[in-house]
Amino acid sequence: MDCTRTRQLLQAYVDHELEVSPALELEEHLRRCDACRARYHTFRQLRATVGAAIAFTPAPDALRRRIAQRLHTQEIRARPWWARRAALVAVPAVLALVAATLVLVPKSDDSLRGSPVEKIVYHINEGTDPATALRNVANHLQLTPGLKAVVVAHNKGVDFLLMGARDDDGQLFEDQVAALKARGVDFRVCGNTLSRRHIDPTRVIPEAKLVPSGVAEIGRLQTKEGYAYMRL
Amino acid sequence: MTGDVKRRRFERLILPHLDAAYDLARWLMRDGAAAQEVVQEAYLRAFRYFDSFHGDEGRAWVLAIVRNTCFSALDREPPAGRFEEFDESLHCDGPEWVPGPESAAMTHETQTFVRDAVAALPEEFRETIVLRELHGLSYREIAAVTDAPIGTVMSRLARGRGMLAKALASRAKKE
Repeated sequence: MDCTRTRQLLQAYVDHELEVSPALELEEHLRRCDACRARYHTFRQLRATVGAAIAFTPAPDALRRRIAQRLHTQEIRARPWWARRAALVAVPAVLALVAATLVLVPKSDDSLRGSPVEKIVYHINEGTDPATALRNVANHLQLTPGLKAVVVAHNKGVDFLLMGARDDDGQLFEDQVAALKARGVDFRVCGNTLSRRHIDPTRVIPEAKLVPSGVAEIGRLQTKEGYAYMRL
Repeated sequence: MTGDVKRRRFERLILPHLDAAYDLARWLMRDGAAAQEVVQEAYLRAFRYFDSFHGDEGRAWVLAIVRNTCFSALDREPPAGRFEEFDESLHCDGPEWVPGPESAAMTHETQTFVRDAVAALPEEFRETIVLRELHGLSYREIAAVTDAPIGTVMSRLARGRGMLAKALASRAKKE
């Protein structure tokens, strides 16, 4: 093997990527050629220097836990609805819900309201505090069994529905959204907002559904489906 | 594949590479918090598309997803894997750097200098150097992760090392 060929193959040799036979020929050349041998040592030294300087940073435990938890909820989401509910809500809570439905719903329907179901579209826009908004929806749900609730997020209001978004206490919004979703609340995100703000739609958490336009969706729900509008 | 079987297989083949995934994301994003978000998203994507993965070696597969998620978070196209000619002159000129006596026991300053020099490399060289030197991936695996021909991987490795050698040489001259 000559110097030109040796220089071509030197990097692969230093990286242990060379097959045995060319490696043997190259070693034979290195024994005879001082210049190539010097190059070889410099190359090795450079690798060692770089390898020793750059350190591997392992993943933080919090990230590991968060991913494990999210995988678990994804798996639950893939199950049929009855299996999902059983996994998400503890048994006593299910019993309490059943009892509440049996006792409270007929009573409140008979005595308090003429309309069979209350339907509300909540609008989350720029300036809405999403943590407060979610709490309001949860309270509303608590007091009004059978409430049909749709949350439409638009403008800066979409931010809490993006992956990894957290409230001021560091809690993931996605967990809160998933809990409300399990109670029947629908979340819809304005597609126009995403394209205007160059937000990749895959960043939207899977609990939320994409609609072409937030404004059109609110209009449609009010006029075609009889929803009342509430700005949070 | 039922949900449970899928999750167990995912935990066995993909989760063990979380450290590598996070480290690569840190080098590409140059920011720990951003790297965490990217890796979380990449892992959920990987889980969603896991049915399309049939191998037994998940590292290159998941690192490729992490890399793509990084570039989409950076709002940039990943470096294209063009068929570059394997440029001999690059390999024949060789590193200009001559290792000094301090190389045996590297000073803290040198370590910081080299780390910064790697972080300052253009993306295609940075990711190739990191995958090789830090993660110990073979040329073939790097080609799979970065979606580039093997010749391109070798050129990038050689050029990236050349840049680092040049940086070290000019530093040695100053001292």
